[in-house]
Amino acid sequence: MNRWKKKQTTSIQSFKRPTLAGDGFQGKIAYFLSRAVTNIRQNVFVNVVTIGTITLALLIVSLFLLVFVNLENAAESWSERVQVTVYFDKELTAPEQSAFRSKIQAVPGTAHVTYVSRTEAMKRFKERLRGQETLLEGVRAEVLPSSLEISLKRSNRDTQAVSEYVTSLKRIPGISEVQYGEEWVRRFNAFLNFMRLLGGLLGGFLVVAVVFIVSNTIKLTIYARRDELEVMSLVGATRLFIKVPFLLEGILQGCAGSVLAVAMLYGLYEGFLHNAGSFLTFNPASSGLAFLPIEYCAGLLAAGTLLGFIGSLTSLKRYINS
Amino acid sequence: MIQLHNVSLAYQQDASALNNINLKIGKGEFVFLTGPSGAGKTTLLRLLYCALTPTRGQVVIDSQNVSRLPQSQIPYLRRSIGVVFQDFKLLQSRTVFENVAITLEVLGWGRADIGKKTMHVLKQMGIESKYNLVPQRLSGGEQQRVALARALVNDPKILLADEPTGNLDDANKNQILSIFKEANVRGTTVVVATHDRRLIYNAHKRLVTLNKGEIVEQMEKEADNIDSIL
Repeated sequence: MNRWKKKQTTSIQSFKRPTLAGDGFQGKIAYFLSRAVTNIRQNVFVNVVTIGTITLALLIVSLFLLVFVNLENAAESWSERVQVTVYFDKELTAPEQSAFRSKIQAVPGTAHVTYVSRTEAMKRFKERLRGQETLLEGVRAEVLPSSLEISLKRSNRDTQAVSEYVTSLKRIPGISEVQYGEEWVRRFNAFLNFMRLLGGLLGGFLVVAVVFIVSNTIKLTIYARRDELEVMSLVGATRLFIKVPFLLEGILQGCAGSVLAVAMLYGLYEGFLHNAGSFLTFNPASSGLAFLPIEYCAGLLAAGTLLGFIGSLTSLKRYINS
Repeated sequence: MIQLHNVSLAYQQDASALNNINLKIGKGEFVFLTGPSGAGKTTLLRLLYCALTPTRGQVVIDSQNVSRLPQSQIPYLRRSIGVVFQDFKLLQSRTVFENVAITLEVLGWGRADIGKKTMHVLKQMGIESKYNLVPQRLSGGEQQRVALARALVNDPKILLADEPTGNLDDANKNQILSIFKEANVRGTTVVVATHDRRLIYNAHKRLVTLNKGEIVEQMEKEADNIDSIL
C-alpha cells in the first residue's frame, strides 16, 4: 500500500489498489471457468483436434462395448437352456409332485421346477416331429417317462456347479435318473470363458491405446501452448493458477468428446445396428441389438472427462516442472 | 534491492556459466550488463528472476534470499519483477490488450480495474490504438513496447531486460530507452543486459561488464573512459 501512496506523488497518473476479483472461492472458480472458455475460443483448431480424437477413440471403445454387451446378453439367454431333468417311470400324483418339488427347491441353486406329465411329453414329442407324424403311429403316451425339469440359478450354470448340483439331487430318495446334457454344458461354458477372455484382452488393449492416443494429443496441444505457461509463470502466476484453466479445458474437452461419442454411437445404432438382428443376433427371440445400458453411457461420460483431466494433469506436470 | 554474494552457477559439472559474482544494485538504480556473447549476461538475469538457482553463493532480491526461498513463494517474488526479452515472448493467440492484462489477471484484479490500468499503460507506450490487434500484426518496435507494457503494468520494483533492442532500429531503440528511463524515474530498479554500444552510450548509466562468467569491470555513470570500454 505504501508503494502506491508514494507513486501518487509522481507526475504519472496512478491507480488505487483495486479490489481483487479473484478473492473467494466463487470469484476464483468464475475466473478460471471464463479463462478456460476463452482459451478454447482462442485455440479453436487445437481444441477441435483434441475433442475429435477423444470422440473417435471413445466411439471405438463404445462400439466394442455395444458388441460385447450384446454378446453377453446372448450368452445369458443361451445359459438359460442349462437344465437338469429328473425322469420317473410312472406318472406322479399331485402329493408326490409337491413333495419332490419342495425337496428339489431346497437344493441350493434351484431356480424353477416344472412337472412334465407323460401327456405333456407326448405333446412336445409330436411338435418336434411335425410333418413326420406317421413315425408316432401306435406310440402311446405311457411309453414316455414323466419328468421334472429344473432350471438353475445363474451362478449354478457352469460345468462344476451343475455336476455338484446333480450329485446333491441324486441324494434325494426316489430320484435316480438325472440328465443334464453334460457335454453341451461343458462346451458352452468353455465358449463363454473364451469369449470373456478375448473380450477382456481386446478391451484392455483398446483402453490402453485410447489412453495413449488421447494423453499424447493433449500433451501436444499443451506443448503448442508452452509459451503461455512460461509467460504466466514469469508474471508471477502460482502453479495452481496456471494449471486450473488448462485442467478445466481438459475436463471440458473430455466431456464434449464423450458426449459426442455417445451421440454418434446412438446415431449409428439408430441408423444401422438396431435392426441388425438378422445377421448378428444369436437369439431368434430377441430382435436386433440392444443399445448400451444407461450406466455404460454414464461410465463413458465419466471416462472421457477423467481422460481429459488426467491427460492435462500429466502433461502440465511435465511442462510446469521443467 | 539486488545483492549477489560469491555467486557461481554451473550448467554442467565442468563448465561454469557464472563464477564468483559479487554485485550490489541499489533501489532505484539503472544498470547495464554488457559483455560478449556467452559472457553470462542472460544467465545472471535468469538468476534474478528465479528461473535458475545458483550452484554456490547467495542471491538476495528485495530483502529475500532466493536460495532459501521455498518454490511456492517464487511466484510472489516474481510479481515485483518485470521481465522483457529480445524475442518479446508475446502470446500470439491473444490481443495486445490481453497480453498486457495477463499480469493483472494473475494478481486477481477486477475486470474494470484491469481495463483502466491496461489502457493507461498502453497509452503511455503509444500503442493504445493497437489494443485489439494480435502481435503478428505489429512491427518489431510495437511488439517490444507491448512486452514492456506487460512488464510495467504492475509497477514492478525491478525491471529486467534481456537484449531489449536487439531487433529494433535506432528510432525504436531510443523510444525503448526513454521508457526504461521513465520507469526508473518512477522508482523502478532497472537492469538491462545488452551489447548494444549506442544504447549504453546514450543512457549514461552504471555499467557492469561480464566476460566468461566473471565481472571484469564496473563503471559508475558517465565515466570518463567509457569510450575505451565500448
